[in-house]
Amino acid sequence: MRLTEEEKRMLHGDGPPGIQRAIELLVTLGDSFDAEKLVPITYGHISYDLCPEAFWNLMTEGVPPTPHRVTTHPSSQPEIYKAWGLPVSDQSAEEHERKLKRFKQLGWLRTETCAEYLLGIMPKKGDIVPMGGSCMQVANNSLFGARVDRMGVLVSLAAAVSGRYPLMGLVLQENRYARHLVELENLDVTDWTLSHYHCLGYYIGDQIPGFKPVAVNGLPHNLSFDFTRALVISMPTSGAVTLAHVVGSTPEAPTLEAALGNRKPEHVVRVGKKELSETWERLNVWDDDIVEHVSFGCPHATIDEIGRISTLVEGKELKTSLLIGSSPSVEALARHQGYADVIEKAGGQFLPVCPSIGNPFTRLDIAGHKQAKSAATNSARSAHYLAAVSGVKVFFGTEEECVEASITGRWKGEIPKWK
Amino acid sequence: MEIRAHMVSAGKAEGLALVYRGAFSFMGDLDPNTGRIPVPRHLLEGKKIANKVFVFTTGKGSSGGDCIAWMAKENGNAPSAIICLESEPVLSGAAIITGIPAVDKPDKDIFEIIQTGDYVKVNATEGLIEVLGK
Repeated sequence: MRLTEEEKRMLHGDGPPGIQRAIELLVTLGDSFDAEKLVPITYGHISYDLCPEAFWNLMTEGVPPTPHRVTTHPSSQPEIYKAWGLPVSDQSAEEHERKLKRFKQLGWLRTETCAEYLLGIMPKKGDIVPMGGSCMQVANNSLFGARVDRMGVLVSLAAAVSGRYPLMGLVLQENRYARHLVELENLDVTDWTLSHYHCLGYYIGDQIPGFKPVAVNGLPHNLSFDFTRALVISMPTSGAVTLAHVVGSTPEAPTLEAALGNRKPEHVVRVGKKELSETWERLNVWDDDIVEHVSFGCPHATIDEIGRISTLVEGKELKTSLLIGSSPSVEALARHQGYADVIEKAGGQFLPVCPSIGNPFTRLDIAGHKQAKSAATNSARSAHYLAAVSGVKVFFGTEEECVEASITGRWKGEIPKWK
Repeated sequence: MEIRAHMVSAGKAEGLALVYRGAFSFMGDLDPNTGRIPVPRHLLEGKKIANKVFVFTTGKGSSGGDCIAWMAKENGNAPSAIICLESEPVLSGAAIITGIPAVDKPDKDIFEIIQTGDYVKVNATEGLIEVLGK
């Protein structure tokens, strides 16, 4: 790989060991994908929670505050868990504090969200923004036209400390055209909710081999931001899709031909009622109908979602715990608007955690004997990881079905009658 | 039987093969505390990946995969080597960071040649897979 004089100094000089290790990792990774050089990043995004402390210390050793912006992923909240009486070990709470302190020393922004575009921190078309979190990778690529390669959380930390990423994968225009085409068949989407788009995205992710971009054709043009987001973020859960062009709705897909770069797709996936019914059923992993927890906000909730949940729970008393994963900033707006008070009065809670992988209600290692053994969600991504990571029973359904389950403690959700 | 392949992550390892004709994510598909596949209804649910030469199609899923790979490695529950059809950056990064020898783009049909339980040697640095059978 060709390095600039500055990058050679970063790699071989007597600068910060963290930057040296970061460049070394990025060069090794880049070499394995035949990258010709490293490129400067616009900004970065990391997860200090998911990052093992030994790796965190290696990568940040001696690193001064960075000239570029770096933000952070959802974060666990050991102090809050302790206040709730959860058995948080001193060891994990202290590790959290140490990493957070270092994060702030680096001058990095404590956004604590997987949806920072909701805070106005968003890339413009063409920006190179390496980041952890497959959900925001696919959102920033697809919804804003940023150049985000698929990468792991640890690699994103290397990019954040060094301000570089290999010129490879989705950073290159030639790799951004869709190779796979998804055609919707005989589907009337008029009554679709967020969950329906989650279900479609989950099916598509499962059907697309590999991580090459996909074009989804056949949906109404100018689809709402929330629906487009639900569709694209579900794909890298069941698969590795990191760029999805939704024809007529996303910036690199004004037409199907533009999305495909005027080439023929390598393969075509057709989706109809049968495929969606099977996927919806597959996302439900339960035997009896007892619901102990309801999880919203995967990806982190928009103010509109919170507003709808607030209307549904107003004046009610929830039987189950109900968590809304949201950034502290969107939560502040919900509070300002009066939504947060209504939801909290009913028994719901806001946390800037990942409600799927890091859910403090369902994770045995966080909740201890208070662990909820079953959870309902309107997100396919959440359903997948609640089952796989927390090992609890999962109910997948619409926002309304989930709120209903939270009020009654019973699941009455049904597989949609597709039109 | 020898198969040539492309190096993803340098190193050498050998052991019994576990073959899965599908995509794999360290996050969700591997419990780093047990080394097993915990996913309900997964074709290989409950099977042990730890210290196996793990053969599959490609990577998928959460970008936290490399963090789980790190934990699995620390617990002695990582695969000893990886052979896949085509790697992707989350999987490649995970293998490089944790030092798991890994290759992709094999020049022969690995799913025809390698069966679960076969003894397999992987020299990732040289891009060489040797299948010794059962």
